[in-house]
Amino acid sequence: MMKSPTPPKKSSILPPDKESWITKNPFEEFKTFAAPTPDLPLDQIVQSTEAVMDRIRRGYEKLLEEEAKELVWMVQYNTIIKAYEVAEKYVREVDYTAEDIEDFCFALENTQRIPYLIPGPAGVYISALCNYAMEEEIVLKLSELKTEINLIGFRLSKGKRLMIEGDTGDFTGIGLEGGELVIEGNSKNWTGAGMRGGKILIKKNIGLHTGEWMMGGEIYVGGRVRGLGNIVEGKVYERDKLVYPGKVRYPNLYY
Amino acid sequence: MEEQHYQSIIEEIWPKLRRKHLYPEIPMPKVKGIPDPEQGEGEEGEGVGLEMKQKQMTINGAFVSQMKDKMPEKRVIEALLDHGITHYTFCPWDFHTHLRLYAEAKKVVGDKELAKQMSNYFIDVIADTHCVRKRFTEIPELHRNLKKGTIEEVIAFLYQKIWGIDLGIPPSKMSVKGHADIVRRLARIPYLDRSRWGESIRKFARSLKPLLVEEQKQQGSKGGKGEHNPQGEDYLNHYSNEEIDQGLRDYARQTMVLSEFKDVVEDFSDELKGAGYGMEGGMGRGQGSPIDADILFYMKLAENYSIPIKKVPLEEKGSLHPHSHSPWEIGSPFQDVDIWTSFGKIMPGITQIWTKREGKGRGKMEGTPDCLIAIDSSGSMINPRKSLSYAVLGAACATNAYLQNGSKVAIYNFSDAPMGGKDILNYTDQREDIYRVLCKYFGGGTALDLEDLIPLTQGKKNLDLFIITDMKITNLEALIGFFGQIQNRVTAVHIGDNPYAARFEKAVEKRKNISIYTVKRKEDIPHLVLGRIRDYFNPTHIKKS
Repeated sequence: MMKSPTPPKKSSILPPDKESWITKNPFEEFKTFAAPTPDLPLDQIVQSTEAVMDRIRRGYEKLLEEEAKELVWMVQYNTIIKAYEVAEKYVREVDYTAEDIEDFCFALENTQRIPYLIPGPAGVYISALCNYAMEEEIVLKLSELKTEINLIGFRLSKGKRLMIEGDTGDFTGIGLEGGELVIEGNSKNWTGAGMRGGKILIKKNIGLHTGEWMMGGEIYVGGRVRGLGNIVEGKVYERDKLVYPGKVRYPNLYY
Repeated sequence: MEEQHYQSIIEEIWPKLRRKHLYPEIPMPKVKGIPDPEQGEGEEGEGVGLEMKQKQMTINGAFVSQMKDKMPEKRVIEALLDHGITHYTFCPWDFHTHLRLYAEAKKVVGDKELAKQMSNYFIDVIADTHCVRKRFTEIPELHRNLKKGTIEEVIAFLYQKIWGIDLGIPPSKMSVKGHADIVRRLARIPYLDRSRWGESIRKFARSLKPLLVEEQKQQGSKGGKGEHNPQGEDYLNHYSNEEIDQGLRDYARQTMVLSEFKDVVEDFSDELKGAGYGMEGGMGRGQGSPIDADILFYMKLAENYSIPIKKVPLEEKGSLHPHSHSPWEIGSPFQDVDIWTSFGKIMPGITQIWTKREGKGRGKMEGTPDCLIAIDSSGSMINPRKSLSYAVLGAACATNAYLQNGSKVAIYNFSDAPMGGKDILNYTDQREDIYRVLCKYFGGGTALDLEDLIPLTQGKKNLDLFIITDMKITNLEALIGFFGQIQNRVTAVHIGDNPYAARFEKAVEKRKNISIYTVKRKEDIPHLVLGRIRDYFNPTHIKKS
């Protein structure tokens, strides 16, 4: 049997003045007030920041995949050079600012976003980011960072100034190529190892093997130098006092 | 006169504002009187446009009068109320969120006052941005006309950047002292993403910290308190006591770290006192009674758990119960009439009344007995005032359960009791006193003095015993002997596996009134106690599941 195209209208059992009870949407009033939700510039800024961060993060993950297989990474001259070359490859593809580098440093500690923080490759990657950044002067506010990142300032080139607010780990400013590296806090061992030129300023204390195989440049330490390395060429100052070249010629001597 | 005028403006725009903000449960705002300059009133708080106390918003008439040359009064009031309402409807929303934001800010700035200011600025930026994004508001116009200090200028420039609205701050003004750099950092924060407020406020604080520190130094040298926030200050006043209570409870549960909770509570102790917040007995009320943050932590944390207790048959409760019928006589009380056997009539010879007797006999009347809690605070236990002690938390949960059932609790806190390492609290229902004794830590050796326990158990036929210890008790045999003599229900919780615990377990295994719970990981205590006590007190619950 075919259905009738227009079903007969049901007769209402409610009086006519109360029929509106069943048809009125209780939220009708909200419909009339559709507040405008304009797109703010903030949305765009946040969106583009997120996009850049994703690309930086992907580059780091690829670096780990290629260079830190099974999450093991040995700090050797060859491994550092190779990791840096890989990092350069990914960093060149991204358009970023100094603030993105800082955000990345904090994102490294957030395990929900980045699965592994391996201080070596992370430091090499951050160094590459700093070296390829558009800005000549980069300030990274890292004093709240729980991890001290190693190898920061690796191969910092001439004309670049990198300022770190906070402490840094081992191998800070190694292979410096004429840039200026300022650390507002402490730095650990092997700082300035193999640097060829430029300046490293450490506001507080520094660890052992400072300036190991240093070929040139200057290291200024505001606090104490725990020990010097085998320095070839260059100068090391401790609290404005020249300690190399000077009387102290023995490596890792405690002052 | 002006006050009435402003009140009439509020009455006019309030329905529209409520509708705009989707009908928040907030009372009609009021207007604060305009001080009479001739009588020397005024100055104090003139820069503050809006005050909020326990959800009551109050517009400062003096502030609106000051602003009326720059923008119409109606628009000033609307902007202030938009801002105020958004604090209740979006950010911070509740006291717990406020505490969380404050705690994150403090991690970065390290100073109590700076952290308070920082969290207030952050909350304001979120509230205003939310308003601009979601609602048609006069807030941008208000910011354009407000008097600004250095930080307010930086924040206004931030608004220009993230809202895309000109607020009259030229970019050239920002190029000095690296302010443009600060704004560039601030503009990258996802203010409207609630799930990221924790990391966002840290970033906000990192960027704004140098300015705030500089301002604090300048104010310190001037000896003043600095500019008032026109959109309101002292955000702790927003919350009611119940909201503060709930916020502390949530914060304790979320952090589970005593030191963090303690830091925050101590930082807010003045405000908490000012808000009249306190516990029974007066902690936090009145001058000179400091808030004990440790006790508050365990109190709030324990409130997150609830332990059901199965009531036990109690004898001779001392109350009267209907026992038998007797004929009603004229003059007898009507309230004892049994309407069912009297057929609904009041008539001598037909009407019957209940004769009452003192309740006796088991099984009918149920109640919760009092409880004696023995807690070990020897050197092998965690110091509850240094870090979270699950033993104290477990005992606190048990305390709450008994108190909530109208029973009293006695505490025997012991380490080397015969040498004086003990604290005894007699049966009481004063929660604060109980917690104070629970949180005491003696350190040193572990030995019970049964002479102390006997007076607490004597004369109490119905009494539960609850003991939390690691069982490394020197005179364990004496304790076993004591438990062997009594018939009371005993719940013994011991931490970790050790030969002492095994010996205790073996010695009392045949005693049906003693339940022993082993906790291999200390973290299991609150969960295990909750679950197992339920098993023990309420066996029917297990049968069902």
